[in-house]
Amino acid sequence: MSRSDVLVDADWVQDHQGDPGLVLVEVDEDTSAYDKGHIKGAVKIDWKKDLQDPVRRDFVDRAGFERLLSERGIADADTVILYGGNNNWFAAYAYWYFKLYGHQNVKLLDGGRKKWELDSREMVTEVPARPATSYHAREQDRSIRAFRDDVLAAIGNLNLVDVRSPDEFAGRLLAPAHLPQEQAQRGGHVPTAKNVPWSKAAEEDGTFKSDDALRALYGDEAGLDFGTDTIAYCRIGERSAHTWFVLHELLGQPNVRNYDGSGTEYGSLVGVPIELGDGK
Amino acid sequence: MTAGGPGGSSPQASTAGGPGGSSPQASTAGGTDGCGAPAGGVKVTAGAGNQAVVQGHVTSSGAPVPSGHARLLNSDGEFVAEVPLDDDGGFVFYAAPGDWTLRVLAPGGVRAERPVSASTGMITELEVAV
Repeated sequence: MSRSDVLVDADWVQDHQGDPGLVLVEVDEDTSAYDKGHIKGAVKIDWKKDLQDPVRRDFVDRAGFERLLSERGIADADTVILYGGNNNWFAAYAYWYFKLYGHQNVKLLDGGRKKWELDSREMVTEVPARPATSYHAREQDRSIRAFRDDVLAAIGNLNLVDVRSPDEFAGRLLAPAHLPQEQAQRGGHVPTAKNVPWSKAAEEDGTFKSDDALRALYGDEAGLDFGTDTIAYCRIGERSAHTWFVLHELLGQPNVRNYDGSGTEYGSLVGVPIELGDGK
Repeated sequence: MTAGGPGGSSPQASTAGGPGGSSPQASTAGGTDGCGAPAGGVKVTAGAGNQAVVQGHVTSSGAPVPSGHARLLNSDGEFVAEVPLDDDGGFVFYAAPGDWTLRVLAPGGVRAERPVSASTGMITELEVAV
């Protein structure tokens, strides 16, 4: 797998808008951004309403994913180009999710909505009408998803990557600083986790750094053992989906899992070890 | 340190009588059970409570800059958070007490930086003209 198999740039999207078999999907937590303006032809997915189970803390199940994609007019063989705000956090999460349910042709727009806006490219409010399909998802691919017991078993054994900001890693902040600091869970990080903030993998415009720069970041600088399995986590699993994308899709590392329970689950577990303080 | 007190300060514990009690919080608008940054950030509606709030607006020739991003860097220059500017060029951050840098990115290659200090229980206002 190479970068061009999983990532397209804004010029490419501009040249291929409207191609048959290509579907642009904007993924956001706050979908009012889509409503105000989006890339022409893009449909929207709401990270919370569409992708999360409304009752249990989990994803929509396979049948729910099939209903969602069928209703959005996305077919099994379509090439799906995902993009979104927040430096593609939720688009990367959706990418991981599409892979989890076995969609073959899915890519991220490098830089997402932010780069598109900073370039002053065209945005429209017109919502495309796509005829419904009959989408078939596969069983979840558990090889890319980690659960809490996997994380506990990984302490001291596997690469654990905490992708939050240094201040959240240390326990000084309980959430990214654009959110009120009022969460119930404990601050700090999983012992033996290395702190490699997701933001170090991206340029300021939201595009990913080069493969060489990324390999140096996780290898030489952070000291990850590329010969060992890796679990990435953050607070709710979307920033770590961004890092999962970097390690698994861009750098081609095998056996990288995203722990979507992340800090909000781990920091609420009774009796598990937690470390405070800055990374070493 | 307590679960709720970034940086070791613990206004919850001293005023609410310990874990499990209700504690004074900044009054904010909108849900925050996800992790995304809504345009402009989560608005403070009545006082800072126990938060260290940094908020303000980005303007150009006196007019709001409605398209762009504000990002908060810590004292080491490391990225901490980012919000898209709202229609009024507004942004809000919930920091820990200490010194921070606010950086603005907007279309046309516009960039600006301002140092800012945050304190618990305070709303620090920052107007950025670019």
